[in-house]
Amino acid sequence: MEAPPVTMMPVTGGTINMMEYLLQGSVLDHSLESLIHRLRGLCDNMEPETFLDHEMVFLLKGQQASPFVLRARRSMDRAGAPWHLRYLGQPEMGDKNRHALVRNCVDIATSENLTDFLMEMGFRMDHEFVAKGHLFRKGIMKIMVYKIFRILVPGNTDSTEALSLSYLVELSVVAPAGQDVVSDDMKNFAEQLKPLVHLEKIDPKRLM
Amino acid sequence: MGKRNQLVEVLGSGKRLKGLRVDAVYNPNTTDRKQPGYPMPMRSCYLTGVCTPSPWLFSPPFYVSYSFIWVTNLFLLVQREEKQLEASLDALLSQVADLKNSLGSFICKLENEYGRLTWPSVLDSFALLSGQLNTLNKVLKHEKTPLFRNQVIIPLVLSPDRDEDLMRQTEGRVPVFSHEVVPDHLRTKPDPEVEEQEKQLTTDAARIGADAAQKQIQSLNKMCSNLLEKISKEERESESGGLRPNKQTFNPTDTNALVAAVAFGKGLSNWRPSGSSGPGQPGQPGAGTILAGTSGLQQVQMAGAPSQQQPMLSGVQMAQAGQPGKMPSGIKTNIKSASMHPYQRPSCLVFILAVPLRCKVKKLLGQEEKKNARLQLW
Repeated sequence: MEAPPVTMMPVTGGTINMMEYLLQGSVLDHSLESLIHRLRGLCDNMEPETFLDHEMVFLLKGQQASPFVLRARRSMDRAGAPWHLRYLGQPEMGDKNRHALVRNCVDIATSENLTDFLMEMGFRMDHEFVAKGHLFRKGIMKIMVYKIFRILVPGNTDSTEALSLSYLVELSVVAPAGQDVVSDDMKNFAEQLKPLVHLEKIDPKRLM
Repeated sequence: MGKRNQLVEVLGSGKRLKGLRVDAVYNPNTTDRKQPGYPMPMRSCYLTGVCTPSPWLFSPPFYVSYSFIWVTNLFLLVQREEKQLEASLDALLSQVADLKNSLGSFICKLENEYGRLTWPSVLDSFALLSGQLNTLNKVLKHEKTPLFRNQVIIPLVLSPDRDEDLMRQTEGRVPVFSHEVVPDHLRTKPDPEVEEQEKQLTTDAARIGADAAQKQIQSLNKMCSNLLEKISKEERESESGGLRPNKQTFNPTDTNALVAAVAFGKGLSNWRPSGSSGPGQPGQPGAGTILAGTSGLQQVQMAGAPSQQQPMLSGVQMAQAGQPGKMPSGIKTNIKSASMHPYQRPSCLVFILAVPLRCKVKKLLGQEEKKNARLQLW
């Protein structure tokens, strides 16, 4: 593979090189309630949190084959919340000893003119979707249960359509590189959600 | 046999026999303890027999001839009984020591391991205790065991001083043998209140007729069986309830679809022609490209076209955005406006303009595109 247009190397210097550990699964709509109940029991005692986000994925194409991808996310239900720009690196499956998918990640909060800025830089939007669901935390673990809606009219988040009859369940931890032990905690937590949800490390390349 | 035997000694020189109640049999030649009148304290008779010295001799006193054999027999008997008593006491002591040990370890277990104690191990301890109690009962009921209830223990000396011997023998539990502890430790009967209660229960039980008792037993049995039935029913239900959620709670296909959607937008832009090779192709008229409206290739191709009808068209074309097949012919008039704002947010005009170009572009790029697609990650 040719070199990417922008460096894909972990971002070092200034910020710590953070990695996201990820496990994914899904739950059918009718079993959502049981899952929420279980998560409320398992997770930190906090007010149930919901979110409604609009995510846009931007690409920057150079001469090379692999585009550079940035994700911009804005909250639709919380006015005034900052936008969220995220870079995600190539996911690594790793071996059996690591129980979660790992990818480089950089998170930045931005102002709301992010899209204009990206456009000016030469990025263009590849796809967008609306995510609506619940957020749970347990220590440094974050559990998101959300439904993905496709946007019927480009740019118009009012007319949406559910992508499937399931909710996506993501268990993620953002930790400094090399902290593979966190994947053990994640595995233990995932075990407790069985048989309701099977959280696994899913290689997205397999699904292309 | 130390101290107790010393007391049994029949002492000469006019000393009194003391401190021992001889539970001898009425007829000294038999060991049948169940003969009528047993146990009959024989002290007076015995002493009379023993202690009557011959009137014409001064000292030492000796037994009159008629009672001599009798007394010898009695001695043998007493000795045998003593031996039996000793043996059974030893057996009893060892049983009680066993019981005490297992009770101690059980209590220790309860106090120290209650966190990880399992029910089966508690049951094991109970089984051990019950077995030992059974053995103890057997020892007590053994026919060679004398009836301990006929033994009388008389406290000879009460002392408020500390007794090291006693301390050692009782493993530090009883330091003094004083008036305070003796009533408790030498007690052979329950407390008067308890005795009273027991008596009351016995009379109550006796008062109830056989029929009434039978009825009560039956109703209790009925209640128990009802309760058992309810419990087992509940158990069955919870088991089947545990099996019922075999119903799918998740769908692996959905998982894959959702993961693919968040990872690279697969299935999200349903307006993108299926089969487009990926979001990143330059110049490819896919949805992403159109949406972004910033593709260099499109702009270049459109740049030369004149444009005068932008205001009118923007409305019309917005409505037709979803129907790429039916494009109005006046599209190209808009090109200028699109090209003037190359980085504008998604423009329907560009979208519409791009559609007729699709075939052309595809043809032009066809070969190269396919090659790229293979190389591309996304």
